[in-house]
Amino acid sequence: MEHIFAALAEIATVHTLLLMSLGAIAGLLAGAIPGFTIAMAVVLALPFTFSMTASQGIATMIGVFVGGLSGGLMSGILIGIPGTPSSVATTFDGFPMARQGRPGLALGLGVWSSFFGGTISAICLIAIAPQLARIGLEFQPWDYFSLVFFALTITASLAGKSLIKGLIAGALGLLIATVGEEDINGVSRFDFGSDYLQEGFAFLPVLIGLFAFSQLMGDIRNPAEAKRSLAQTGDIDIRIEHMKAAKIVLSKWGNLVRSSMIGIFTGILPAAGSSISNILAYDQAKKASDTPEKFGTGFEDGIIAPEAANNATAGGSLITMMALGIPGDIVTAVMLGALLIHDVVPSPSFITEAPVLAYSIFIAFFFANFLVLFFQSIALRLFVLVTKVKMYVLAGIILAYCGIGVFALHNIVNDMWTLLIFGVIGYMMRNLGFPLAPMILGVVLGPIAERWLARAVAISTDMSNFITHPWSVFFLTLSLFSMGFGIYQRDRGKKVWPFYYTPLMVLALAPAMFMMEGFIRPVIGIVMVAGGLYALYRAHQKAVYFKTATGEST
Amino acid sequence: MRTLNRDTIIAILLLLFCGLLAWSSLHIRLPGYGTLKPSTWPQIIVAVLTLFSAIYFVQSLSYPDSDGATADDRKPGLSGFLEYFRNPIICFAIYFVFLATLPWTGALIGGILLVFALLTVLGGWTPRDLVRHAIYATVSMGFMWTLFTFGLRVILPEGEIFSIR
Repeated sequence: MEHIFAALAEIATVHTLLLMSLGAIAGLLAGAIPGFTIAMAVVLALPFTFSMTASQGIATMIGVFVGGLSGGLMSGILIGIPGTPSSVATTFDGFPMARQGRPGLALGLGVWSSFFGGTISAICLIAIAPQLARIGLEFQPWDYFSLVFFALTITASLAGKSLIKGLIAGALGLLIATVGEEDINGVSRFDFGSDYLQEGFAFLPVLIGLFAFSQLMGDIRNPAEAKRSLAQTGDIDIRIEHMKAAKIVLSKWGNLVRSSMIGIFTGILPAAGSSISNILAYDQAKKASDTPEKFGTGFEDGIIAPEAANNATAGGSLITMMALGIPGDIVTAVMLGALLIHDVVPSPSFITEAPVLAYSIFIAFFFANFLVLFFQSIALRLFVLVTKVKMYVLAGIILAYCGIGVFALHNIVNDMWTLLIFGVIGYMMRNLGFPLAPMILGVVLGPIAERWLARAVAISTDMSNFITHPWSVFFLTLSLFSMGFGIYQRDRGKKVWPFYYTPLMVLALAPAMFMMEGFIRPVIGIVMVAGGLYALYRAHQKAVYFKTATGEST
Repeated sequence: MRTLNRDTIIAILLLLFCGLLAWSSLHIRLPGYGTLKPSTWPQIIVAVLTLFSAIYFVQSLSYPDSDGATADDRKPGLSGFLEYFRNPIICFAIYFVFLATLPWTGALIGGILLVFALLTVLGGWTPRDLVRHAIYATVSMGFMWTLFTFGLRVILPEGEIFSIR
């Protein structure tokens, strides 16, 4: 309890709340502008946090994160273009409702659903993450390495259309992190005699170059589109109908809670972010509704479900980041990078070792939902102004800001060169169809993986430790299935084998539970075997039906 | 004889890159202490990257059109390439010049010139545009410079010409 009060004292100061407010407004604006992603907003906010304390810096970025998730609904509802992928489903009913002359109510429903979804997930974050982190105390270097290895295999899931290109991007990310002097022995690697390479690449210039710089280049590639305003919204004078919307949202509490839970669960799963959860929640709300035919016509439930889910996803992804030290998506990967910049090494023991900072993050996330709710009306007015600015003006100014921002990290010009180099690399990779998210994950996790491997080998060179420690076995098994997840996604609904994927994964994870000490975990193992066998039986039935229906022979 | 497709060329370049890194990893100094050699982790990654690149190479030969890359509407040849990517190429070049001249111009003057050049190249150079871009560049960079110098206490690069950070 004393940690919570200490954290509260850190966050509930005028200075920190002011910084969080600025972050929330910036996030709301960035989220509202089509083409600007939440990750880009969080990346661009990073340089401002260098001079802050760790808790202030992370709190500001959480403000941007939560603001970005809520901001997407503004453009989605008002102009029919979702500001971020996490607001795609909001557009299905939000835009029709706005066109029916009820934009204030549509915005209100979105704002209040976001608030309640975020608050529910904040409560879950505070309740679940510390419990989950207790497991982390049992981890030894072999388990840690296997955990990070598992996180690296997520690149397969982030690969998108081309699995092999995603894997190559992930490996390139790992490689980038090895250039220069390594932490363990201070030996220089891949420097080719150059002083610049000997220093290695700092994380932030690489990140901003790959993500923000290259994206801006994409935005201004077409000369005609570069000269267009962001949206032809005209003059908008809308008042958000707060009271009416809040009452409607609370009256639809079943949809609200279900959608929030979908959001939290999706966030906990590695590689499944708010871009998936909002569509999942919309789909489930439609299936559970007595009037599914009303969805898509400006129906209230169609706005509540995706907005509650996408904000709840943030809490879910923070649970994974805080409790296990692994990023579930690109935004939490950036958050991990931000912690590293503030000399905080994320790991499963993070909550135990730095409880005040950990609880500061929980409380900041809780507060951020209130701040975003409060600043939504202001952000709406700013959004209308920003939409009148031409794309090339924004791009030109942000490009200059990127350079100044990365310089602020170490006060060296070389970082600005790194920014340019990785801007070019990122732009080339985008155009060649290589996803950038796996690369970022590789850059963040590479040094952590090497550090744990070095510690494991320093204790014992016996490699069998990786398959005799139960948590290591657990994560290595999970890694095997994670590596196949990209192919599973590709073949699901088209081939028979994906039916067996989940039951086999549950069965394969059970032996690790039997290897663990105590009574409860082996019992969980027995339940997993029983559940897995039943799921396998059901999967077989579905597979037989699928084969009959489609005539597939394999 | 079938011409090489884009993916095959990239795969070959990646394999050559892997070869270069593998060679370089053999020359990483071994300090004589510590159990995990400094070259082990990079060599593992290079091996993995080589494997993936080889798979990519084989895939590119087997399924030349199934790479997932988006088809674009640009004209063939170098002139088509330059026309299609005109804006990004010019922006990268301007940024390069900005960094190369930074020791002389400094962050403030260099930054204003950078923003002005970017806006003018991307947005047009009628007299009205030039005035507007000059105002945007001065105000935006002036604000950023003030914020970082006085707000965040960052010592931005000082230019030799004007001795202004």
